[in-house]
Amino acid sequence: MAIAFHTNIYLPGESPIHRWATRPKLLSLLALMFAIALVRHLVLVPWALAIVALIYGCSRLPLTYLLRRLPYPGLFIVAMVGLLPWISGETVIWQWQWFALRLEGLQIAALVAGRFLAIVITGFILLGTTPFLDILKALRSLGLPALLTDMTLLTYRYLYDIAGQLATMQQAMRLRGYGIFKQTVRQQWGWLGALFGSLLLRSYERSQRVYKAMCLRGYGQGMNLSNTGVSRPLNGVTRLATSLTLVAAFSFVLGEWILSRL
Amino acid sequence: MHIPDGILPAQVCVGGYAIAGGVTWYALRQIHKTSDPQAEIPKAALLAATFFVGSSINIPLPPASVHLILNGLLGALLGWYAWPAILIGLFLQAVLIGHGGLTTLGVNAAMIGIPALMAHQLFQLRHQLGQAFRPSWSLGIFSFLSGAMGLGLTVLIFFGLIIFTLPSTLDQTTEQTALMALLVAHIPLIFVEGIFTVLLTLFLLRVKPELLES
Repeated sequence: MAIAFHTNIYLPGESPIHRWATRPKLLSLLALMFAIALVRHLVLVPWALAIVALIYGCSRLPLTYLLRRLPYPGLFIVAMVGLLPWISGETVIWQWQWFALRLEGLQIAALVAGRFLAIVITGFILLGTTPFLDILKALRSLGLPALLTDMTLLTYRYLYDIAGQLATMQQAMRLRGYGIFKQTVRQQWGWLGALFGSLLLRSYERSQRVYKAMCLRGYGQGMNLSNTGVSRPLNGVTRLATSLTLVAAFSFVLGEWILSRL
Repeated sequence: MHIPDGILPAQVCVGGYAIAGGVTWYALRQIHKTSDPQAEIPKAALLAATFFVGSSINIPLPPASVHLILNGLLGALLGWYAWPAILIGLFLQAVLIGHGGLTTLGVNAAMIGIPALMAHQLFQLRHQLGQAFRPSWSLGIFSFLSGAMGLGLTVLIFFGLIIFTLPSTLDQTTEQTALMALLVAHIPLIFVEGIFTVLLTLFLLRVKPELLES
């Protein structure tokens, strides 16, 4: 499954983006993402991509990091906009038999794909340069309820374990003949229902043990899993990066406003 | 059934966050009314992780195979905890594998989570309306309805959002026809989701009935 290929989301480093304090980084990059989502004019898309590429360069994350993560979400966007240039619009710019490439559809597809790329890469920069726990602590310090951060932490902690458990159970099922012997769809659904049901049961029973262990360690006595305290001193890098990113985000909002008035 | 980043206008994304914020506030209020809200956190978190992982299982539907969303079942099993579980599942899917998106997190949570909460209410109705049937029949019927309604509402919201946010420069008629065809193509999936929910709840009734009653 896809999750199995994405275990190392954070890559430690000493780049300016790594040294950027978590809370301002989170807020600035989210502001940039929303500003890019606001873009409706194709002319702004190359600027968005250029700014995101610049931040990616500053983060010194390897290109392979991006190439490894992009194909999975990329497939969905291709599936959603891939047909637009062929079915939508009136201005035909190229035709071969009944295949006609249309300008309007192409422009919309480029706009959506460009926005998608810029936003997704911004998200990858955030995750690649910030430990996941720090992001959770920053969210907690920004007022996210403890119940949500605790649940996120536990879900994240057990996600890979459960994925591994599912892979083992699926292998055991194949060894018992699933997918090898001829079976009706009804039989296959029965097997898969039992597989998922067993996974649910194991997780449920494990959750009881986890809760008891957490209580023994003081959970519920005024202690949360995701304590606050992520703040780092506001260094020069943080001030500069935050200001530049917010200026970039604001310039997209302003550019969009000016272009819609023309 | 996740809307990726870049598809929806920013105003809709912000609206999605506003709705998700309101539902989160209400769901947490309901959760805090229970006797020991923290006791359920590990259960909800581990089941959320299981649903996240389990939705990757390929379900054969000749000539292809499909993945389930299982929001109806999640709602039936977790009740109000289904909302934070879905919110967290979607957040992790967006950040770990880029499925869905961070700007569309609110919209996706509302699209998948609100039907899950409604599925929970429907599943609870079996205690009042299902008295006339044998327990396993009552459970089967209401599981099917919860599972099918969970996905059915999600599909309707998804296509509604896409249709109402189509750029005006596009040929609206062609686009809407294509989307309607896609909507119809999802009807068998709604039945599959319902049937799979029945299979799972009947399995749990046999081996761990308390999981259905909690």
